[in-house]
Amino acid sequence: MRLPPIGPFRPDFWRSPLRGPWLASLLSSALLPLLVTCAVTGVLSHFAYDTDLGHNAVWGGPGAGNGFDVYGLDWPSSPAWLYAANQGLHVISGIAAIPLLLVKLWTVIPKLFENPPARSIAHALDRLSLALLVGGALFTIATGVMNIQLWYAFPFSFVPAHYYGAAIFVAALALHVALKLPVVRRSFRERGVVAPLREDLEHTRPEPGFDDEETSAPRQPAPPTLTRRALVGGAGAASLGLGLMAAGQVVGGPLSELGVLAPRASGRGKGPNAFPVNKTFASVGIDRDEIGSKWRLELIVADTPRKLLSRDDLLALPQVTAKLPIACVEGWSTTQSWSGVRLADLARLAGVERPGTMEARSLQPSGILRRATLNSGQVMNPHALLALKVNHADLSPDHGFPARVIVPALPGVHCTKWVGALVFTDDSAEGAA
Amino acid sequence: MIAFQRAYGRGPLHLAGTLATFVVAAYALSQVFDLLSRPYGFVLWFAGAIVAHDLILYPSYSLAGQAVARAAVPPAARSRLRIAALNHLRVPLLLSGLLLLVWFPLVAGKSPTTFEHLSGRSNDIYFQRWLIATGVLFAASALVFGARARRLAERHNED
Repeated sequence: MRLPPIGPFRPDFWRSPLRGPWLASLLSSALLPLLVTCAVTGVLSHFAYDTDLGHNAVWGGPGAGNGFDVYGLDWPSSPAWLYAANQGLHVISGIAAIPLLLVKLWTVIPKLFENPPARSIAHALDRLSLALLVGGALFTIATGVMNIQLWYAFPFSFVPAHYYGAAIFVAALALHVALKLPVVRRSFRERGVVAPLREDLEHTRPEPGFDDEETSAPRQPAPPTLTRRALVGGAGAASLGLGLMAAGQVVGGPLSELGVLAPRASGRGKGPNAFPVNKTFASVGIDRDEIGSKWRLELIVADTPRKLLSRDDLLALPQVTAKLPIACVEGWSTTQSWSGVRLADLARLAGVERPGTMEARSLQPSGILRRATLNSGQVMNPHALLALKVNHADLSPDHGFPARVIVPALPGVHCTKWVGALVFTDDSAEGAA
Repeated sequence: MIAFQRAYGRGPLHLAGTLATFVVAAYALSQVFDLLSRPYGFVLWFAGAIVAHDLILYPSYSLAGQAVARAAVPPAARSRLRIAALNHLRVPLLLSGLLLLVWFPLVAGKSPTTFEHLSGRSNDIYFQRWLIATGVLFAASALVFGARARRLAERHNED
């Protein structure tokens, strides 16, 4: 069934001589590696929470049942920069994909107004899968970009929505790549992979499209005002520029100056505690008294009496200093010099010989991330600390005073601040039972 | 097989692949309905993202771009210089627009209380930064255009 040929449904409505299957193919070839990087690091980011432990699952309650999870994988605690690199790549690749995605959509938008809208059942299903593809890409990128700028304007919780939106997108992308690979190969065979980029304005001709298939190539092209290399180069430069801005808050140092518009790139003044904060002390609702002199760290092991340690008790234990990055799921990270007591030493002090897991409980009265459970590899890492100081100064309240967890490659939100209790399980006891 | 092709429009492999995609998508959506307190918000935002791009963002920048193009390069007065001028307008316009699109929450200073509450920093610096970035883009583009225009004029004089 044909629609009346009005407006964008008219075949001569689309005039740009640059549109066509070759341009779409080239942009897709640049876009795909970025999207794959973003998707893979996204899944890894989810695994990094060790959702099968304790209350780590952000949604769906404790234990199994979180979508596409694979269980039995323990997130490693080495190399220390693993999580920072993963999140950095995730946010950089996602942001860098935006200009290429927009130009790609510009290239293929005539196909949205194909007439007739559906030529066959297969064609109708194709178009439905494209709605999942385009909707999935825009939804996932938009929620991610809003989240890193702390603008929670959507009516749902970010993590599961971003996760399942991405799942829909990845499924549609896999199908799209499989279906469009022949188009890409044909375009590159007929026109060369980069040959059209060498044309200057006089030699910029419209793409002919294919004679046996609907394409985005124009039927009645206007004369060109832009070369293909300018369009592709411009999109590439924009992608690189945005990527560098996002990189500014991952790599730090002089690169952070590039993050002119990145949310966490610029510093918070000077001093040992002047590095970015994910959640300030003021935002979590802990009483000042609770972190004062009456504060005690509780060490809890099942079936044994609790041990209470004051901050002075902790400072009297052997202190370890480690230069470790702390990285936020939102893609920014900062490396600082942390000092405190080894988690392994605290486990031994609590009477645990072979620590299984350790749950760190914050004084924070509410919030899903007020407690985090670490796997035994993380607890036993020699640089896994209950930090009391940063850069040789006491932690500031914003950074978790009196004590916080810091573990190599552990997601920032699991580096529990304002720790009130550590709960250990004992693997040797389980083995004996 | 030929009957299938005629009825469906493509081969059976196409149908299998498409259905596999829909199964995964349906499972993801079922999880959304199980887990999210407002699943229709998800559906609305998902569909809304398509509408926002295809029927709002694209037509707006496309119409604006065509207006700029008509003004800079009228069909009767097409010249290298005018086309260069158009592109030196297009580039800073598009880049400034892109920066605004990507960093909109920061530039517009959205939810300043949440931002400051959580991060301990203010987000009121970004509007100015975006304005400066826009100014720099236009100035740089104008400088390059000036140099190109002089070269084009010299070449014109030599001819």
